[in-house]
Amino acid sequence: MKRVVITGVGVVSPFGYGTKSLMEGLEENRSAVRYMEGWDVYKGMRSHVGAPSEMKDEKKIPREKRRSMGILSIYAVQAAEQALADAGIAFADIPRLRTGCVVGSTMGSAKSITEVFETMLPDRDLGKLGSSLFFQCMSHTAAANVAQYLELNGYIMSTSAACASALHALGTGYDLIRTGRQDIMLCGGAEELHPTVTGSFDVLFATSSAYNQTPDRTPRPFDRDRDGLVCGDGSGILVLEGLDRALARNARIYAEIVGYSTSGNGAHLSQSNKASMVRCMSDALQEARSLPEDVDYINAHATATLQGDKEEAEAIRELFGDSVPVSSLKGHIGHTLGASGAIELIASLLMMEKSVIYPTRNLENVDPDCRGIMHVMESMPKDILLILKNGFAFGGINATLACRRYDGL
Amino acid sequence: MTEQEIIEKVNMVFEESFEKDRALLKPDAHIFTDLGLDSLDIVDLVVALQKSFGIQIREEEKIRDIRTLQDIYQFIIEVKNKKEVSGS
Repeated sequence: MKRVVITGVGVVSPFGYGTKSLMEGLEENRSAVRYMEGWDVYKGMRSHVGAPSEMKDEKKIPREKRRSMGILSIYAVQAAEQALADAGIAFADIPRLRTGCVVGSTMGSAKSITEVFETMLPDRDLGKLGSSLFFQCMSHTAAANVAQYLELNGYIMSTSAACASALHALGTGYDLIRTGRQDIMLCGGAEELHPTVTGSFDVLFATSSAYNQTPDRTPRPFDRDRDGLVCGDGSGILVLEGLDRALARNARIYAEIVGYSTSGNGAHLSQSNKASMVRCMSDALQEARSLPEDVDYINAHATATLQGDKEEAEAIRELFGDSVPVSSLKGHIGHTLGASGAIELIASLLMMEKSVIYPTRNLENVDPDCRGIMHVMESMPKDILLILKNGFAFGGINATLACRRYDGL
Repeated sequence: MTEQEIIEKVNMVFEESFEKDRALLKPDAHIFTDLGLDSLDIVDLVVALQKSFGIQIREEEKIRDIRTLQDIYQFIIEVKNKKEVSGS
């Protein structure tokens, strides 16, 4: 098996375009959550907060390529372009026959899907539908559009697993590189904030609704006063390649992917399950040939739902006790769903580089249900060698990725 | 609607829907080779023209013969005339 390293990262996050804005937002402990104007027209919608990314410079994408892109695909393409540039791979030099992409999202563009139904259903008339709406709506829209934009000829796949989509994409890319099937993989996730998306959680009473007038105070992962998640959007894309290839071209190496695990909880579609989370993290650690005490930082999934945070805290406590620092970045940027695994992994890799762990924003009083683990409540200087990134999704799907700093060995 | 108004409206479709520069919109401009439209764009062109002129042309066989902007102008003029005649 080949060793697999990450050599480029790109992000569009609720803090803005690029890694610099993401890390500045985290370093300054800001909130990207805001009141969503117009959402109050939906009867029964309790949550009126979101963490949107800002669409900008989309016209730089030629119309012929852009017409098939909904919002999430534009974010994905912009993140992929950044990631490639960050990896030092010029557009003309992409080894296209051996380069692929896996980009996941919960679904296609929510805005475009809504547009299809709003256009077609009132008069039951297909004649008003444009040619490209389908390409914006399809489940693999982000992967397909990234591949078309970059003119890739390798493996093109989409991993649709809600909040585990991006980690699934990264895990798949890791497998494709280490088995030698591909030389370079662009992997990550994308998602699009829309009232129908937040609404899907809202009907399950999983969203935050008590902080509509004080949006920067929510979500509150692991906190006593948490009341649910806040949806956000954006995209994170990472460039994966073999260690030998990266060394040969003297690439900057963010980290080596050393373990990956994904599993079904076998128990419930929407409720997280501690035992399966423990198994998922254990399996990733085993593949990384590491022990729990070797882990320097866990970037938690923790979305601030009552049950999900409790189960994850219990799972971490069972495996790591209170010896490994844990934080969730959703208090800053909300839950970017299918993009979260990639955006938060990128932030974690940059924390590794800066030797600092950013805290869980809005965690002021640890809930008794979430005690017994080492919560990071203010910035913590820390030499970070091994990180775990968790993602636990609707559908009863768990994923954990383990990344180790590459120190030349 | 005058012929000039029809030409203006068709050109607006090319500017707004296909982001084409007005300077390119000459009557003899070939919509595929000069203006860069493709098969997907033709679907959007039909939708945009239907919306813009309040007409139904999706099933019209003559659409397949369109090659230049002038062909579109002429096609719309004929459809509008036919509509007005049948309407009267």
